[in-house]
Amino acid sequence: MRMRLPVLLTALLFASQAPAIDDYKIGELALEKPGVPKGSLTQMPTWNSKVYAGTTRDWWIYVPAQYSAEKPAALMVFQDGHDYVNLKGNWRVPTVFDNLIASGAMPPTIGIFINPGHLGEQKPQSAWKSNNRGKEYNTLGNTYSKFLLEEIIPEVQKQYKLVEDPEQWAIGGASSGAICAFTVAWERPDKFRKVFSTIGSYVDLAGGHAYPYLIRVAERKPLRIFLQDGANDLDNPYGNWPLANQMMFSSLNYMKYDVKLEYGDGQHNSKHGGSIFPEAMQWLWRKQ
Amino acid sequence: MKQFLAAALLLSPLAGLMAQDTSLHDNLVPGEGWQEAVTGFAFTDGLATDVAGNLLFTDVKSGKGIYQLGPDGKVNLLIDNQPGISGLAPGPDGRLYACQNKAGKVVVFEKDGTVKELIKDVKPNDLIVTSKGFVYFTETPTKRIHCITPEGKTFVADEGHVLRPNGITLSADQSTLAVSEHGGSKVWAWQIQPDGTLKGGSPYMTMLVSPNNAKGEALGDGATTDEKGRYYVTTELGIQVFDAMGRLSGTIAPPYLGAKIVSVEFAGPGRDWLYVCAGDKIYKRKTNTRAAWTTAPAAAKP
Repeated sequence: MRMRLPVLLTALLFASQAPAIDDYKIGELALEKPGVPKGSLTQMPTWNSKVYAGTTRDWWIYVPAQYSAEKPAALMVFQDGHDYVNLKGNWRVPTVFDNLIASGAMPPTIGIFINPGHLGEQKPQSAWKSNNRGKEYNTLGNTYSKFLLEEIIPEVQKQYKLVEDPEQWAIGGASSGAICAFTVAWERPDKFRKVFSTIGSYVDLAGGHAYPYLIRVAERKPLRIFLQDGANDLDNPYGNWPLANQMMFSSLNYMKYDVKLEYGDGQHNSKHGGSIFPEAMQWLWRKQ
Repeated sequence: MKQFLAAALLLSPLAGLMAQDTSLHDNLVPGEGWQEAVTGFAFTDGLATDVAGNLLFTDVKSGKGIYQLGPDGKVNLLIDNQPGISGLAPGPDGRLYACQNKAGKVVVFEKDGTVKELIKDVKPNDLIVTSKGFVYFTETPTKRIHCITPEGKTFVADEGHVLRPNGITLSADQSTLAVSEHGGSKVWAWQIQPDGTLKGGSPYMTMLVSPNNAKGEALGDGATTDEKGRYYVTTELGIQVFDAMGRLSGTIAPPYLGAKIVSVEFAGPGRDWLYVCAGDKIYKRKTNTRAAWTTAPAAAKP
């Protein structure tokens, strides 16, 4: 087929403007706004765990500007914390929290951003490579929730007052950090009742592929769960992430959980998750 | 082929068909959770129901005897001087049968208040009595299931298969005996023969094991049956419910996180309240189902 040049150029122009997959951008609520009170972000001393003996890890605390000891704060814990505190990354949680707390879309909330543990003297080049990450995040059961409830949260409570209402305790993460967050709420709905999960690894890295079936045969737990995944997420020896997340959604929906799935065309990264994070927080923290 | 299908449909237990594909929540009442029914004991166990629907129970650790929870919510000591009972079951003759775990006997309480020994030198844990008067009891440490016939003859009905046999119940039509594993993850089932012997034993139902159990044991314990033929088995994860076909249809959460539940029974005037023993307390919750069979009256107060 022969085309005249102008036609060909026009066709090429349209092709270049066609939406590419996974082209998500951060939203306006992830940008600092004049006049919005800024909370503080503090890096805490390296943590030596007893539950995960021999591991060390970095962590951070966000305290909203509105916090006062007279008014205990809500809580949200992020796994792979380093990614969420990066003010130039996909998440920019402190800025989003500043904006949403100021507008009343979520309560004054203390954020804990915690990395997975690492065994050994040398810190890994990247916190994603922490060598205890898989064990802590992918394993089902109550060990990680013990680590949070017996070590990390009491340490935070030495300085800050948190509400006791489990409806005001949220937990989130991406990939293995997401299934980790879900496991904490699944094991301890008496403590955590809000889950934020993106590109969640509900696959067989360590038995997590059982969740869609376990959900269907367990008495409904009082949880609110936000799920995100994309059609171009991983498909590998451990499972298919897009299908696994749709399975999670269908099981939670079947069992009449308060659940939402945001399904896009993203890959295994936090671009889509980050772009919808402020809206996800509004949904997760809504009053009813 | 059509004839075969028709025959197969006729032969399938109706209760089984009716109980298929129901969600756990179909049996539960929305907004009705566990509530405390009994408190102040040490180790409650041995749940059974009398003909009026009153709950009977024991306290294996420090109980004086057999207690009855009346419709007014008050507990009275029905039979005194009977400590160390771990299992209770009413018989078709109106008598109450018991596993005297500490004394190593299975006994029956006569209507005149006397106690008759049925077997001694055993370690009975829990028992069930069929409408024909056959008594089956579990002996956890020896992996045995014993039978006592209506004539008083005793024999070992199964041995060496069930990992720490514990809870025991029947199918709704009483043709099948079911026993839970404390040290494994199966609920075994056998067809009961006219002479009381057991045939066709198999690890019929599979219990979910808690990811927090390092040994991979479900800790199956007390068991009961509802009118749709569903089996209710206490485990570490909660009360696991299997339909009449042996499929897991759900796990009812324990009364509180970490509760160690050991016995389960339907009681109340309509037999639609589910009771569960959890240490010093017994909890109850309303259900949309009821007990499989009406039990015979308990022995009168001596």
